[in-house]
Amino acid sequence: MILVTGASRGLGKAISERLSEKGKRVIGLVRTPTSCEIECVQCDVTDYASVKAASRQIKQMKTPVESFINAAGVAAMNMAVTTDETTVQKLIQTNLVGTFYCCQLFSPIMLRQKRGVFINFSTIAVALALKGESVYAASKAGVEAFSRSFAREMADFNVRVNCVAPGPIRTDLLQGITDTQIQNIVSQQVIPKQFEKSDVCDLIELLIDPRASSLSGETLHIGGV
Amino acid sequence: MNTEKATDIVKKTIAKVTEHELAITEDMQLVGREAVLDSMKLVEVCLALEDFADDTGFDFDWTSEAAMSKSRGMFRSVSALAEELSRQWEQAQ
Repeated sequence: MILVTGASRGLGKAISERLSEKGKRVIGLVRTPTSCEIECVQCDVTDYASVKAASRQIKQMKTPVESFINAAGVAAMNMAVTTDETTVQKLIQTNLVGTFYCCQLFSPIMLRQKRGVFINFSTIAVALALKGESVYAASKAGVEAFSRSFAREMADFNVRVNCVAPGPIRTDLLQGITDTQIQNIVSQQVIPKQFEKSDVCDLIELLIDPRASSLSGETLHIGGV
Repeated sequence: MNTEKATDIVKKTIAKVTEHELAITEDMQLVGREAVLDSMKLVEVCLALEDFADDTGFDFDWTSEAAMSKSRGMFRSVSALAEELSRQWEQAQ
């Protein structure tokens, strides 16, 4: 069984669909289960009690959890000086704290199994220090730092933790970003092209594969930096 | 399950996880500078207590705020862990 947060839209939805197509049992962890086209469990990643309730529900299924993909996230492209407090709190709470809650509260399931994979989401904006993404990048830099240490904590239990850091993939998160802005970001990548959701899905498939058993504590940048 | 029985269960669990290499006392610290178990062993103790709770018919929650607090948390000593195990059992009755 594979768990995916944010499975009702964007990358989370694409990943869920891809893995389902490949024959995996995927359970989406979403705020509103009716918004999800696959099997879902209610889970608001920003709410500790909600994540805890979801983890209890999954545990009661008594089915091994092969992978946990933290795809829930929000973005906001603003200069730090013009970012309002609510947006700052939302970015940190969803991207960083939400990822932490999920890793903390679902890790006992994997610790017990002595196997499993966590995949967290960062962004290429961290490595490229993109202008106008300072708060968003800060929230994701936190995810990267957390993931590196968390990977060490989990390693003794044969649980791997990695981060995927996409560039500007065409999803709802890119609403309001102009083509010129996208091209500006893409031009800073090693491979200067805009990648697709399917490219992210390919990498996820690779990371959850047992053949990637040597990879943990890494951040993989789609497009390269 | 009173605290005395819970203490016995916690001590036996730690003994099993550490392969009887430690003299287990009730004031033995489980986290912090004086901790006698490494974090991996502590996780194993928690998983074993979770199994015990499952078999006994209640949920043992070791990821709560009460568990994590260094000053008040259930990992501050063997007896504190036993008290929390007993409290959670009573709460489930």
